[in-house]
Amino acid sequence: MSDRSGVVFDLGYSPHEGPRLGRLGAVRAVIKDGVRRVLGLRRRARRKVLPWLLFSIALLPAAVFVGLAFFVGTFSPEAESPFGGHVEYIGLVGTLVMLFIALAGPELLIPDREEGVLAVYSSRPLTVGDYLLARAGAMAIVVAAFMIVPNLLMYIGFAAIDEGGFASTLASNADDLLRILGATAAYLFGYGAPAFLIATYAKRNGPATGVYLALMIGSAGVASALSEAGNIPGGRWGALLSIYQHPEIVRSWVFGQAPGPGSVPTNAGFEPWASLATIVVVTLLTAALTHRRYRRLM
Amino acid sequence: MADSIITTAGLGHAYGDIVALHHVDLEIPRGRVGLVGANGAGKTTLIKILLGVLHPTVGTTTVFGADPQTDPIVVRSRVGYMPEGACLPLHQSAADFAVYAAELAGIPPRAARQRASDVLTLVGLHEERFRYLGEFSTGMKQRAILAQAIVHDPEVVFLDEPTAGLDPEGRDEMLDLISRLGAFGINVLVSSHVLPDIERTCDWVVMLDGGRVLRTGPLEGLTDTDTVEIELLDDPAPVVAALTARGAHAEVDRQTIVFTLAGGDPFLLARDVLAETGAGLRRLGPKTTTLEDIFLKGDGEA
Repeated sequence: MSDRSGVVFDLGYSPHEGPRLGRLGAVRAVIKDGVRRVLGLRRRARRKVLPWLLFSIALLPAAVFVGLAFFVGTFSPEAESPFGGHVEYIGLVGTLVMLFIALAGPELLIPDREEGVLAVYSSRPLTVGDYLLARAGAMAIVVAAFMIVPNLLMYIGFAAIDEGGFASTLASNADDLLRILGATAAYLFGYGAPAFLIATYAKRNGPATGVYLALMIGSAGVASALSEAGNIPGGRWGALLSIYQHPEIVRSWVFGQAPGPGSVPTNAGFEPWASLATIVVVTLLTAALTHRRYRRLM
Repeated sequence: MADSIITTAGLGHAYGDIVALHHVDLEIPRGRVGLVGANGAGKTTLIKILLGVLHPTVGTTTVFGADPQTDPIVVRSRVGYMPEGACLPLHQSAADFAVYAAELAGIPPRAARQRASDVLTLVGLHEERFRYLGEFSTGMKQRAILAQAIVHDPEVVFLDEPTAGLDPEGRDEMLDLISRLGAFGINVLVSSHVLPDIERTCDWVVMLDGGRVLRTGPLEGLTDTDTVEIELLDDPAPVVAALTARGAHAEVDRQTIVFTLAGGDPFLLARDVLAETGAGLRRLGPKTTTLEDIFLKGDGEA
């Protein structure tokens, strides 16, 4: 028997002598945590259900279209599917993205604040701006995945089976990629900023999600009533309160199409750039108010 | 002080009309330093200013030579913080949160996982590391909070009321852990209103009262006295008379005599007087002064 048997080694504590990634590492950690959080990764199973269900619904039609086109050969999504091409598909996914953001916005900000975790961030190499940008970055990554992955699948899938050749079809439709990116940005900021603003002041996730959905769904009705009421001075500007519709208007604009007939800002005579400007203003306002609130907390 | 890790000069902070800190001048050395004071004395305010979370109304402060107000990143790269109260994400496991806390300090992911495992073992949470933090008891949560505060190997860790809400056993274990931090090369600034906790864990103390520094210095010097306490079996009157006759200042409380001697060794005097009077001795020793005595007395250097 070895004379070392029975020895208990107390490993104690060893200092970290390796590299430290500093501020950049901290920001990367917050982004990674944010992505995991909104997708329910490394959380209980029930926290994964809704985000992955929404993501599956967003992806499934694109996969079906490409599959049909591959097996049937003559399937054209523009002509034969209720969702049409990229512009219509983004419209479909846009609604799913709004539902996703209704859950993700509160989840990214409220638990840290209400569970006191901000105190931990205040002892790490991270500024308030770093933290908020990293949280927004996490949202951007997942929203981009929602919008870009299915469209990319269609873009590559249809090019692969196109009789004109894979490379030439990709090249001839390359403009679509930029349009998809532009529309994605419009949805990200147009739907994400109001969610962040509500989450900045709400104390619980559930009510924040409810308020956000009520605001988004109700905004078109309120905006329409205001803009059509002839006896309110400047009531036409109320049409811009239809925040749910601004990303859709920008999407149509980016793809060179006219907005739908129910578009309140368009019916009130506003050009698409007014919708873009509204998205920018709401985003800047959200950034300022959120930063102001968090500056006092961490 | 040459080896100070934290300095403040004329530091003041007010919440509206309420002054939380009033002209605080401090030089806090390396080691385990206790920050004691009643609730509302300004302890948490001072820690938050050191972290750069709160901004002083007047005065300056440095942590490792950097100003937390102008260089918060520099300061926050070198500190850990165990806040008073909850700071745990309830839907995350202890292991995941400890890894995240390490990565937040810039530790690369692989090293962060290793350090999280080591530190959770150190604080006694190895078996529970994959449980969700929302399922933890108060004592386990306090350990997890301590783990996040040291997982990134900070140079100094601020512990704000680390034993709050713990049962006696949990408190004892937490104080043991805090006592060991110094041996790991981590400087400690521990805030508490429980004076025995500070006496047990620290070697330097800062006493705050109403936002002012009541006293600061090494604990050993603060509690040392040249007062002798004698507890007798018999009537103390003859002993008191003999002590007074030889120039001692004595006070009597039932069978106990407490005396000081200006010039000379009080223990030699006690020996002589006890031999001379033949009084029955129950106990003889230096009078122990606690932080509580000093705090309640409220005098001393500021």
